[in-house]
Amino acid sequence: MSVRNALLGLLLQSPRHGYELRSAFEAVVGGEANWDVKPAQIYTTLARLEQSGLVRVEARGKDSGPEKRIYAVTPAGREAFRSWLASPVRSEHQRDEFFLKLMLTLATGEAEPKKVIYTQRNSLYQQLHDLTVQRDRSNPKTELAQILLLDQAIMHVEADLRWLEVIEARLEEVRRQPLPEPEIRPRGRPRKKKVEAA
Amino acid sequence: MAIIQAHQLSKVYGAGDTAVTALDRVSLSVDPGEFVAVMGPSGCGKSTLLHLLGGLDRPTEGTVSIDGHKLTDLSDAQLTELRRRRIGFVFQFFNLIPVLNAVENAALPVTLDGVRPAEARAKAVIWLTKVGLGDRRSHRPDQLSAGQQQRVAIARALVAEPALVLADEPTGNLDTRASDEIAALLRQVANEWGRAVIMVTHDPRIAAYADRIIFLKDGAIADETVLEPKNAQNAAMVAGKMQAIGT
Repeated sequence: MSVRNALLGLLLQSPRHGYELRSAFEAVVGGEANWDVKPAQIYTTLARLEQSGLVRVEARGKDSGPEKRIYAVTPAGREAFRSWLASPVRSEHQRDEFFLKLMLTLATGEAEPKKVIYTQRNSLYQQLHDLTVQRDRSNPKTELAQILLLDQAIMHVEADLRWLEVIEARLEEVRRQPLPEPEIRPRGRPRKKKVEAA
Repeated sequence: MAIIQAHQLSKVYGAGDTAVTALDRVSLSVDPGEFVAVMGPSGCGKSTLLHLLGGLDRPTEGTVSIDGHKLTDLSDAQLTELRRRRIGFVFQFFNLIPVLNAVENAALPVTLDGVRPAEARAKAVIWLTKVGLGDRRSHRPDQLSAGQQQRVAIARALVAEPALVLADEPTGNLDTRASDEIAALLRQVANEWGRAVIMVTHDPRIAAYADRIIFLKDGAIADETVLEPKNAQNAAMVAGKMQAIGT
């Protein structure tokens, strides 16, 4: 969804062909390492946008292969892009893989929970280390947008580290509590209650 | 060779039923050029460890060796001398003397060691310049920002050319930006100027500047992580940046 809308925005900025579009996307997200989009995804997205009438082919190169088509946004595309801008972004913090790992560690006993926490913590510190090095290398006079993106990543890693601390401190308490179990619901249609004769 | 080695360090306060084990058989060693962070919840023994490493307190059991000298074998006078010549301390609240200017504060350890005032001043100016305060040398602490005061404290810690720098929550009293700058400076103290730096901090972001993080829990080392790449490889980058920001 966000790639599709980002492509609309980039085409709104200026019409381009697929290859240019991919480079522009990479530049705006701060490099391939941050958000890698394959050429195939660009071309299929463009094809879908064209089908939906949100972009149109503005010019074709001589050999008229898909790489040479220059795309531009239609009025409907601009409308779709504007409504994307107008809507908030929902974050998915409650869908957390580490949490899942920890709960299943406790459920199965296949690993030592503390060890699982420490492995995660070490990896987060490594990320934090890499991010601060990267931030140090960035020039605030020319790369402020990238620094702000790094700040976002740094703050999230910091929050994760604090969260791990809380988990470690309360691990014994969590262990003493029963693990969440599914509610057992009878399958099929609920049985009709017998109506007592009046 | 390691500059500092701690072997099975324990510290127990009180005796009998009321005895509290603040530190429980902690061993570590730090090499020249290495920047180590010690982390853990409050009351985990971080400060106790730092005090024992710096010879400010004596362990109940175990040994600390600096440059191969066991601290327990030294008399109080010898210990004081070793502390003054081989260890630089950096504290959370800077501990600068308000009536002295930056140069006088930074020169203090060598002045106390009997170095002639002119020579002590010259050494202090060199280190103040290195930490980026060459143009603030005549300012008193109240004329400097918190970050600048901590830089003076770092120059003071380095003026006697110690092998080891011990920092206790050096960014605890600083805003985010100044904290980052002080952490980068401590990294430079280790990786470029070859000192062993041990820093106690509760701030993950600051710890991430180190080469290695030791996690203390209930007085013992619970875990340890080595961060790659080691900062030594970034030393040139840090130096370039310090110049770029005009420090």
